[in-house]
Amino acid sequence: MANRRLLVKRLKAVRNIRKITRTMELIATSRFKKAMDRATEAAAYTKKISEIVGDLGRANLKFSHPLLEKHATEKKGILLILTSNRGLCGGYNAGVLRLALAHYRELKGKNVECSIEVSGKRGAKFLAFQKVPVAASYMGFDTPQFADVDQLATRFISQYIAGEIDRLDIAYTRFESSSRQTAVVESLLPLSSLGGVPAAAAKSSVDYEFLPSAQEILEEIVPAAFRAKLFKCFLDAAVSEQIARMVAMKGATENADEMAGSLKQQYNRARQAAITSELAEIIGGAAALG
Amino acid sequence: MADLRIVLVTPEKTLFDCPVTSIRVPMFDGSAGFYPGRAPLVGRLGVGELRFAEVGGTSQSYFIEGGFVQVQGPQVSVLTNAARPVSELSRKEASAALATAQASRPKNDAEAALKRKNLERIRKMQALATRD
Repeated sequence: MANRRLLVKRLKAVRNIRKITRTMELIATSRFKKAMDRATEAAAYTKKISEIVGDLGRANLKFSHPLLEKHATEKKGILLILTSNRGLCGGYNAGVLRLALAHYRELKGKNVECSIEVSGKRGAKFLAFQKVPVAASYMGFDTPQFADVDQLATRFISQYIAGEIDRLDIAYTRFESSSRQTAVVESLLPLSSLGGVPAAAAKSSVDYEFLPSAQEILEEIVPAAFRAKLFKCFLDAAVSEQIARMVAMKGATENADEMAGSLKQQYNRARQAAITSELAEIIGGAAALG
Repeated sequence: MADLRIVLVTPEKTLFDCPVTSIRVPMFDGSAGFYPGRAPLVGRLGVGELRFAEVGGTSQSYFIEGGFVQVQGPQVSVLTNAARPVSELSRKEASAALATAQASRPKNDAEAALKRKNLERIRKMQALATRD
């Protein structure tokens, strides 16, 4: 029966695909571990920065910095979208892009001229397909390096201070826990908070000596806090991507298993049916002769 | 004797976390040394050499580029954008970087300031690389 041969072929195909998805799952798992390690190591820096900010907070200082101030009118903005370079990671890119586009339209409605910058091939392709103008796209953030992110951050900072942009938003997937990541749009500039002030304030207060002065340290630490925040977004996105891929590939492997099982069953039935009909033919033939 | 501990942190990772006997950091206006029992301090760092003597007697030095230092009790935290062991710096690389930096032609004040800063940074790196 032709049907049987077809079933064998499909079964082989499904098994091959299962091998691929299983391997991809394992690769994603190991990459996730690496990305996770990077993210945890980077957390130490952010923690220290917010500690120093907390120390500054007790020095009776007025927090004023161009990056903290909201511009009087909002005319121009940048929306940075972090997507992945590779596909096969479930709803990871779709989630971010859906939110980002909604935010883009909202800003447009408010007459804010918004230019989109996108990281990752998937996002760039999607936006090109949707015919949304993209000002810049970056492809090199599979494993984000601080030096690269720093360049971006420096440009954003100088643009914001010069008044070329009035706001900076970022759409990315925030890593909350290894079982929970959500796509979010966050506003990075003007910098709303430097983070961690109350936690640091709870500690016993230490009387610090500030060199050169608390004010000058503040001027340096605000950009540093912004850089760390931006870097954290990139790291979060990288971790979330690997988790999304891991989950998607796990699902695909399970589906392939299920499919292989049902195909095997169908094949066995077809085989048995063929045997039975052959037997029936022989018996029928023998009976006719006798 | 009160002890001293150095924590060297970059945005990418914690490079060092160990007890030491003394630390020398490049502040914005020159070198500063810390011994056990230093009063609490928060300071801005410049570009230059971070050097610390480990308990065993060996000393290590890193080339760091700006950042902050926080002294809190026995713990000295050094936060910096980039840190490289001085032994990894090469003369060739430093002079190549210097040549590229010198070749740039700034078009406005901001770029000129950036170039000056960059040159200063590379010269310091070169000085460290050629020291020994």
